[in-house]
Amino acid sequence: MTLLEVSGVSVTFDGFRAINNLSIAIGEPELRAVIGPNGAGKTTFMDIVTGKTRPDTGRVLWGEMSTDLVKLSESQIAKAGIGRKFQKPTVFEDQTVRANLSMALKNKRGPFAVLSWKATPTDHAWIVELAEEVGLADRLDHRAGDLSHGQKQWLEIGMLLAQDPRLLLVDEPAAGMTPAEREHTTDLLKRAAQTRAVVVIEHDMDFIRRLDCRVTVLHEGSVLAEGSLDHVTKNQQVIDVYLGR
Amino acid sequence: MTMDTTAPAQAATPNRSFLRDNPSVLWFMGLLGLFTVIVTILSEGMGAGVMSTNMVKILGMTLCLCLIAIAMDVVWGYCGILSLGHFAFFGLGGYAIGMWLMYARTEIVIRDNLAQGAIPATETEVAEAVASQIFGVVGSSDLPLIWTFAGSLPAQLALVVLVPGLLALVFGWLAFRSRVTGVYLSILTQAMTLALSLYLFQNDTGLRGNNGLSGLQNIPGALDVPQAVISVWFFWASALALGLGYLLFAWVVSGKFGSVIRAIRDNEARVRFLGYNVESYKLFVFTITAVVAGIAGALYYPQAGIINPAQIAPIASIYLAVWVAIGGRGRLYGAVIGAAFVSLLSSWLTGGGAPNIALGPVRIIWTDWWLVLLGLGFVAVTLFFPKGIGGLFDYLVRKQP
Repeated sequence: MTLLEVSGVSVTFDGFRAINNLSIAIGEPELRAVIGPNGAGKTTFMDIVTGKTRPDTGRVLWGEMSTDLVKLSESQIAKAGIGRKFQKPTVFEDQTVRANLSMALKNKRGPFAVLSWKATPTDHAWIVELAEEVGLADRLDHRAGDLSHGQKQWLEIGMLLAQDPRLLLVDEPAAGMTPAEREHTTDLLKRAAQTRAVVVIEHDMDFIRRLDCRVTVLHEGSVLAEGSLDHVTKNQQVIDVYLGR
Repeated sequence: MTMDTTAPAQAATPNRSFLRDNPSVLWFMGLLGLFTVIVTILSEGMGAGVMSTNMVKILGMTLCLCLIAIAMDVVWGYCGILSLGHFAFFGLGGYAIGMWLMYARTEIVIRDNLAQGAIPATETEVAEAVASQIFGVVGSSDLPLIWTFAGSLPAQLALVVLVPGLLALVFGWLAFRSRVTGVYLSILTQAMTLALSLYLFQNDTGLRGNNGLSGLQNIPGALDVPQAVISVWFFWASALALGLGYLLFAWVVSGKFGSVIRAIRDNEARVRFLGYNVESYKLFVFTITAVVAGIAGALYYPQAGIINPAQIAPIASIYLAVWVAIGGRGRLYGAVIGAAFVSLLSSWLTGGGAPNIALGPVRIIWTDWWLVLLGLGFVAVTLFFPKGIGGLFDYLVRKQP
């Protein structure tokens, strides 16, 4: 089933066409890698899906009801079930790991509901479980700002899972991670993709190979090739783009 | 994914009580209670008479300033909205209660006067006499529309809350919806404050122009009670309001709500991607703090005795930000310390309490030099002690990891 359908989307920044008639469909469940040279529009694609950037033309349809995400605000899109991990880990450094995770937990988001919110035993258990999953169980009451770069990446992945989204958009998850951590990340993403849709942007080809999934190659804001990694790396256009003409 | 019940993290599961998590609240309440008892014992009206009535009023007013300072700390220190308009809400609360105080007292005086005449006065005559008594100073004798409920204490008390609350709600809704943030939002709030004070300066706005409202220290229904006693009543009311306000805000900022607004302060875009509607949180915080500011103003001005538009001018709101910065943003007791310390120091220095200093050719006369000192203090705190005076407590209490 198609969960997300981006069709005919274009965006121009100050005359520069960042996304050019882009069409991508993501199923549920599915694991998809998006690759492409710098400036190909990978992050802008995520910006459009999450409502950060409004496209000039085109539609972004979501779910069974084919809701057009272009009309929704960032928070509405997030509530609809789209979670995002940013390229640069952005956690709330001033607060504890526990506070970061509990903000991300899938609970009601309105001010009045949050004001009277008290963590249930289920919430606690879920937070601990997530913290263990991302290797931060002994760090729950530490400031997020005191974590290492890699741990912040993990925390953000934990926050993403805490939201329990139907679609995870993950921008360069392996940056700054050790080989062992990368392996853990691939496992985690593959596991998540058994029940959800996961879209991963990554530069590291070994990482992509380990994900072992369908690959979309972006170039100059549109899809250049799509298929298995072996298939796209044999594509002459892709080789030209990556190796220079 | 398995659950490890021996994980240390779970041992520290935070389902502890609110007070245990926030020991500073208990400390604050204890000190506030102690302070109230001491002032009462020393006061002229109720106790030994060591402390002058004027001093009791100054301390009572200081408590009101502490109340608006914690409101400012929540909106700025916690939620990151540098509002330069909260003193406008304070002033509006003052005006709302001042209208009743002035109207009701004038009415009592007029009735007494008219009662001495041969023919009993009609209600219309009383109302007309009250209006011309209050508005003669601005050359009018009609009661403006906004004074419709001035004779009713419950109505004016409701306005103390409603006027600042609604103004904040409408203004905040417009500003936050357009995603105005940072310095632009500060400028916008300052423009609102300036517009309001300039408007009130005009004679035909129905609030007596630059004369403001006066005689507010005389409480209708208690006109025979000496000021020495009334000052203690208001001191108690101010202490109670500060205590309740502190509890309310400590509760608001302690839980997940506090987490979310601090997250908004640090990175509001990220909070949106977590699914929180940032605007509604900001609006909630802006409005509730405006309401508390209004209540603080309604308690302050009967002690001050007079309110005029100059007190709503933007500079007052800037002082408010300075108090909070000096006291320490992001902790409620810091705001209280800042407001109390700076405003009391200011009254001492400008009230002739401090000796002037001769430094060679320059003579430091504190009434003139006070602002220089405040400015230098503000710069020094910003540069060298970003946590403010409240930050000193971090050295006393070793933070648990």
